[in-house]
Amino acid sequence: MTKRVTNHPTTRRGFLNLAAAGTVAALSRPAPAAAAEKTITILHESSFIKPFDEYVVNTLAPAYEKETGIKINYEVTSVGSLPTRISTIAETGSGADIAMNGLLQVIQFGEKYLDVGDIAGDIGEAQGGWYDAGREAVLVEGKWKAIPFSNIGQLMNWRTDWFAEVGVKKFPETWEELHEVGKKLKAKDHPFGFELGHGFGDNHGWLYPLLWSYGGAEVAPDGKTVVIDSDETARAVDFCREFFKDTMLDDVLGWTDVSNNKAWMAEQISCTNNAESILWFAKREFPEIGKVTDQAMNPAGPKGRFHLLNSISHSIFSFSPVLEEARAFMRWLMEPKQLGGWYAIADSYYQPLLHGYDNAPMWSVEPRNLPYRDALTSVHLPGWPAPASRQLAESVAKYVVIDMFAKACAGASTKDVIKSAEAQLKGIYRSA
Amino acid sequence: MIANAARRRAPLAVLLDRQSVFAWLMMALPLAFLAALVGYPFFYGILLSLQDRPVAHVGTFIGLKNFQTDLHDPIFWQVAINTFVYTGVATALKMVGGLCLALAMNQHFRMKNLVRALLLLPFIVPTVLSTVAWLWMLDPAFSVVNRLLVALGWPKPGPSWLGDPTLAMVSIIIINTWRGLPFYGITLLAGLQTVPPELYEAAAIDGAGGWHRFRLITLPLLRPIILIVTLFSVIFTFADFQLVYVLTHGGPQNATQLFATYAFDIAMGAGQLGLGASVALAMLPALALLIVALTIYLRRD
Repeated sequence: MTKRVTNHPTTRRGFLNLAAAGTVAALSRPAPAAAAEKTITILHESSFIKPFDEYVVNTLAPAYEKETGIKINYEVTSVGSLPTRISTIAETGSGADIAMNGLLQVIQFGEKYLDVGDIAGDIGEAQGGWYDAGREAVLVEGKWKAIPFSNIGQLMNWRTDWFAEVGVKKFPETWEELHEVGKKLKAKDHPFGFELGHGFGDNHGWLYPLLWSYGGAEVAPDGKTVVIDSDETARAVDFCREFFKDTMLDDVLGWTDVSNNKAWMAEQISCTNNAESILWFAKREFPEIGKVTDQAMNPAGPKGRFHLLNSISHSIFSFSPVLEEARAFMRWLMEPKQLGGWYAIADSYYQPLLHGYDNAPMWSVEPRNLPYRDALTSVHLPGWPAPASRQLAESVAKYVVIDMFAKACAGASTKDVIKSAEAQLKGIYRSA
Repeated sequence: MIANAARRRAPLAVLLDRQSVFAWLMMALPLAFLAALVGYPFFYGILLSLQDRPVAHVGTFIGLKNFQTDLHDPIFWQVAINTFVYTGVATALKMVGGLCLALAMNQHFRMKNLVRALLLLPFIVPTVLSTVAWLWMLDPAFSVVNRLLVALGWPKPGPSWLGDPTLAMVSIIIINTWRGLPFYGITLLAGLQTVPPELYEAAAIDGAGGWHRFRLITLPLLRPIILIVTLFSVIFTFADFQLVYVLTHGGPQNATQLFATYAFDIAMGAGQLGLGASVALAMLPALALLIVALTIYLRRD
């Protein structure tokens, strides 16, 4: 009688007993034999060029698995969420073995990354040497904490047909000249549209170069002294205010990264700063607009011509359980056969930082992309000429330089905006 | 025989039969859940805010230095003002609008249930999706509002909703109100339906007009519900993140930067987890005061 009560499922006690017994039985089943196959997980941010990601999954990963038997797990995270994803992996110590870095992650996570100087050295030697920009992007206290992959250049995109209407056949050489052309084009209802809001790339792509081309800088090369309050900065700010007022749509003050692409395809603007995505997209979806879209290097200021180093690199997490396999994989990935194919599939959206690719066939596919290659000798990380540091990352994340220019364009005085940027930087660099 | 049977009952069963023990046992699981998913992050956040903690580095205890840094950061003050203005105005609009909505929905008309269901849509649609739709609506080049205004004589291309700092704040308040009205409306509607119709009938017999009936019967009886809904709404709006992140990411020039988005930029963008935690925790005093004030007000009734 007792036995029936305790084990029959229709009584409450019976049900609980059966459930407990079942759970114990399930948990005590011997674990399946550990998989002999090794896996390397690579984290990448979703590329604007879809074929680029597909190339890894469909071509590179299967090829490597065939050669070595190691599975490559290509994890893609949405645009803008790379810093968060890497933070999680670095903090928890698991989740991926190799990570793609944007322009700030090498400095922020350098301590969790393997020193890959030997691999990078060999690659550089074999493929024509690294651009200085490559070194700038990955050196942390003299150690190579990542293998440079590419720059994603942010350059001038311009409408050849509308520029021709005001008599301009070649893209202007200087900011002042561009300003004059812009005035004429705005009068003809074809204004410029440069991002001045809180995006990730299209704002940095022209505002830092603008500052540098007038001789301004946030912090001195010693990495400690805040030098933003200078005549050079004031001249850059004054220019930016006039440039905005005379040539641009008012709305740019609130633009984020997608806004100028949208505006271009809607034929709202005649000039902007962007990666190659506008031309790439226009050629495929809006061929008529694609025909009249051209690209050019940033205009020069009194102190030179500059571009943003929007670097992409790959790092190996030092806590990865498959360190040797990851190192071997990186060597394989960066060999000309794999690397060349991977670069080529994205046209030249990713500009190689190895001199060996200066005359690669990928550049002759679309001659309008050549300025992105020519810009590689004048690219710098935001915060230059100070070395990369966590303070630099804080300044970028807080939009110090962006808001300085944007507030001036919105009407604030040059003195005020520089003073407030200086106060912010002094606060950020107090611990430098 | 009976005595034997009583002694044979297991001591555990006797214990469980006591209501106090049983009650705590039932609460144990939800309490554990809360402790793990709410309590632990909260206390860890306080710990973080007292440290200099760059991401992927070991933290060093620095006491209240992060909060000092915040107090000297002009952006922090702008963020505080933005958040209070955003919460205050949006909540006021939602309260009034929600009440009107509830009163209207309380009437009888054909397709009443369908309309009630449709009205819930802004609240149910994921914020990120609806905000992206608003992004298109607020772009002067594509905005239906701007088209209308320009047709009525406004200089082309119409107001820059996300480029002008004031208009950007107006925009996020409008979108938040649009999103939150159904929450207020449906909850207040539920409250309205608990008001006994005899009270209205008695008041009508006594000669009270519509406005008097509303002011002297509906409002007092609805007050507890209005307060509860306001409490929830204020907490959600104060800590709002998705709307601002997708629409403007805090721009233009930090005009729409809120505590949550600023804390995220500092913690995840700059990699300063301690400083970011201190900004997020800054929300606590204001919210705590509000909750205490509202609870006292409620208890008084």
